[in-house]
Order: sequence, then structure tokens, then C-alpha cells
Amino acid sequence: MIDALRYEFVRLRTIRSTYWLVGLAVTFQLIMSMLIAWRMSVAADPPSGDNAFDILATIGASTGLAPLFIAYIIGLVGVFSMGHEYRHGMIRATLTALPSRGTVFAAKVVSTAIVSALAALGCIAIALAGQLIFGLDLPSGSELTNLTGGTVIFAVLFSLSGLAYAALTRNQTAAVALLMLVPTVVEQIIKAIILAIKSTSDDPRGTGGLVQILKYLPYDAGGQMYTRASIEDLLSFLGVAPFGPVGGGLVMAVFVGALLGGSYTLFIRRDA
Amino acid sequence: MALIMARGLGKSYGSTRAVHDLSFEVHPGSVTGFLGPNGSGKSTTMRLMLGLDRGEGVTTFDGLTFAQLDRPMRHVGALLEAKPFHPTRRARNHLRMLAAPNRIPDRRVDEVLEMVGLTSVSSGKPGKFSLGMGQRLGIACALLGDPHTLILDEPSNGLDPQGITWLRTLLKHLASEGRSVLVSSHLLQEMAVLADELVVIGRGRMLSNGPVADFLTGSGLATVEVRTPDAALLAPALAALEATFTEVDGVLVVKHATAEQIGDAAQVAGVRLHQLVTRQATLEEAFLAATGMSEEFRGAQAEGGQA
Repeated sequence: MIDALRYEFVRLRTIRSTYWLVGLAVTFQLIMSMLIAWRMSVAADPPSGDNAFDILATIGASTGLAPLFIAYIIGLVGVFSMGHEYRHGMIRATLTALPSRGTVFAAKVVSTAIVSALAALGCIAIALAGQLIFGLDLPSGSELTNLTGGTVIFAVLFSLSGLAYAALTRNQTAAVALLMLVPTVVEQIIKAIILAIKSTSDDPRGTGGLVQILKYLPYDAGGQMYTRASIEDLLSFLGVAPFGPVGGGLVMAVFVGALLGGSYTLFIRRDA
Repeated sequence: MALIMARGLGKSYGSTRAVHDLSFEVHPGSVTGFLGPNGSGKSTTMRLMLGLDRGEGVTTFDGLTFAQLDRPMRHVGALLEAKPFHPTRRARNHLRMLAAPNRIPDRRVDEVLEMVGLTSVSSGKPGKFSLGMGQRLGIACALLGDPHTLILDEPSNGLDPQGITWLRTLLKHLASEGRSVLVSSHLLQEMAVLADELVVIGRGRMLSNGPVADFLTGSGLATVEVRTPDAALLAPALAALEATFTEVDGVLVVKHATAEQIGDAAQVAGVRLHQLVTRQATLEEAFLAATGMSEEFRGAQAEGGQA
């Protein structure tokens, strides 16, 4: 496993996409969090330290009104981890250097998780720096821990789902499309269809039935790890009661675990 | 030095049988040419040997499968396809990446770059390399671990004549050091001067396996050229040997008899011989004869001199 990790970290260090993806996430975070922090600092009624941190760390995603943008950028690290192997015909060279497919796959999972976690932590550190620089109140210890943990875990799971899509499809373009479309389009379409059916049912405000599916939309559920006030709350009159951060995180973790399990099985069985 | 032993290799794609129960050996100190028409299963066989494709059979390298080898690039070097690298990862970094898990020092990376003549472009991006340069980088990857076994699929693709000569010299030198070299190629003239032994397949089945000389002799295409002023006298003697002959520019081209047989028969018949030359079949002739009915993809033949 150590040898496979050595391979992965040299691979990550010697390719431009690692730098521009992490750089793009950090740059986006830097510009946006500094702008927002500055705007908060000149507001007549600046937000509390916890609220400011939630908004700055997630660039508004904590409101439930926007996706966690940095996860979409960092997630490409996961896609490229496996996608480059197939797009550029590297997989056979990789497996002649490291014949144990299980080890290769595990090393990709570990390296993707580490890089994604570090990039997400870096983004959160920038948010904290913004609060310090512009004299905003700092977050409480519990909120700092909870939101940081939730954001980092979401980013890591998001990246790993990208890795799994690439391993399943063996097509980098398809994997990127899946990673972008499943959370933003597919889940929203499913949500819209279920809510439409629910609103026209005999018991539109009931909590049972079809509406329970919405709790299990994986990316939506995982979003509960960093969401503090959500548009979902507005849907509670239709019986939508999402899991909390822990439950939502578990739903996403199980989904990503299943994706990785399936892709691992195919990776082991298929021709390289 | 490793003996490659392939046993019962087989592979199907759906209902199509690509490789059918192939067994052969590649001996240390020799270059074994792997020949077959397009689509005959050469590349699939090589991938099966390295465990890259899932199929039947087992290949061992001194008794161990590829997956069982510790730090495999130190034992087996492989080139399986042209340009197997990320286009923007610099050539030296590509080699460093493959070297890392096999604990091969950077010094060796620079050595193989020098060996394949890519030192001056080691910081270049392979996406801008020509096919020949890409092939040289692939050969550098295969040589990286200084392995005792080399498996090379069409390594001369894209190389210029100087490159082909360089590759021939390199492979012969490596074999002379006791390494086992299995190399596929469509360049039959090149293979004729490079290979010591041959594995010839067609439609995934073994057609021939053994020394090159045996393959040429076994083709039955060898002829003996006889120059004699007494052709009419020699004809019945050749018929008695059950040999056949044609006359070309005053020379009898005899099949199905050796020079020794013809010489002895001529002496008995009192025939004067001015020239008696054995002409061995070329590898190309023997290969075409062996694989004539085994082509997977066959183009339309010209008829009546018109394409």
C-alpha cells in the first residue's frame, strides 16, 4: 500500500490539473470570502461569529440556497484520479508498475480523500482569515468544529463519488458530467416530481409515503452537514423532513460507499 | 534470468474466441519473435501474460505470476501500446512516477532516458512527441527496472530506420546478457535478423513455436537451384526423388529435395553440375504460408491485374 501511495502522490504532484483545481478552489474561496467578509464588516448590524463563519466558509451554501461550489471543483480531483487512467491509456502502465488492483484502487481512494480534505481545510482557513482580517467576531468552538467537519466530509465524499463515476464508466467526460449533473439536475428533477405528486395527493401535508424518498437523495442529504438554514425548511409543509447533519452525512456516505464498492468490483473484474 | 512459461492462455470476447489455449516458453538469452496477422491475438496474449486482461491460463516468470512479483518492474519490463502517458506530464516525471512504487532511484530514470536518446527532451511534454519519440519513452519505461524479462508489443512502430537499427542492437545486447525478450512486430525482415525463436499464431491458435530455422525449414518452401548443361538427363533422376522443378532462366529450381540428394542423384546419372545452391525460404514467405488461412482481416485481392 505504501508503494501504491508513493505512486499516487508522485502522480498528483507531477500533473498540472492538481494545481489548477486546488488553486481554482482556493482562489475562488479567497476572493469571495474576502469580499463577503468586507461587506459584513461595514454592515450596520454585522452577523454573529457563527453566522459569518457559516457563510464565509461555504460561500453561502450554508443557507441552502447554493451548492458548495468548492466541492464541485475539488471533486474533479477524484474524477481525474481514475479518469486520466482511461482517457490517456495509463491504466496498463499503472498496473504493470503495481499489479495489485485492490491496492491501486485503495491508494486512489486514500490520496483523493487526503487531497480533497486538505483543499477543503485550506478554503475554511481562508474564511477564518477573512473574519480575522476584517475584524468580525470569530465562531464558537463547536460551530467551528461542526461546520469544518461537515464541509470537509462533504467535499471528500463528493470527490470520492467522482472517482467512483470514473471507475464505473471508464470515461472521464461521462464521469465529470455525472458528478455535475446528479446533484444539481437529477436530484432536483426527482425532488420536483415527488413534490408534484405529493402536492396533488389526498394528504399533501402528510409526512409519510413517497416524500420520504427525498430524505435519501444522497447529495441533498449530505448537504445537511454544512447547511444551517435551508430552503427545505420551506417545504416542511409538504411533509419534507430531512435528516440532520449526522443522518444526512450517513446517507451520503452509504451512497458513496456503494458507488465505490460497485466500481471496485468492476475494476477488479474487467480487462484493463 | 527468467524463463517465461505461458500455459493454456485463452480469452473470449462474447462468443468470439480471441486466444485459444496458447502455451509456449521464452528462454533466457534469446529474443523470441511473436508473429501473427492483424487481429490474431498477439496483444491480447501479452496482456493475458501480465494479468491485465481476464482470461484463462497462467504465465509464470521463473515460477511466479506477474501479480506475485515483488516490485514487478524490476523483473518484467513491458511496452504494450503506443503513447501510454498523460500528454502534459513531463517525460522524466512520467518515469519517476512509475519508478516510485518500484523503489527505482531517479539516477536510473536519467540512465534510461540517456539509453533511449531522450535526455534532451526529458522535460518535454509527451503530448508533443512524435510516435517514434513516444515509442522510445515507452521503451524507457520497460527498461526502467533493469528487468530480466522484456515483453514488447510492436516496439518498432514509428521508429525511423536508425531507430529500428538501434532497437535491434539494444534487444540483441539485452538478450546476450541472458535476459528473456518477447517481442511482437509486423516487420518480418527485421524479425528475421532479430529473433532466435518464434511464436507464430493465427486466429488465436498456435501455428508454430520454436527456432527460426525450424520454422523456415518446416515451411517446405526451401528450394535448390541447379545449373547444369544436362537438364534432360537430370529430370528423371529428380522424378525418382519425387522432387518437382521448374526452369527459370536456364536454372532448375527444385522443390522437395535437398542439395545432397540432388548431388548424389546427379552423380549416379552422370550429370554434370555447374551450380548447386540451397535457397532457404524467407521469413516473410514462411509466415505468409503459415498464416495464409488465418487472416482475421483480409483485403480485396486484385484480379486480372486490376485493383
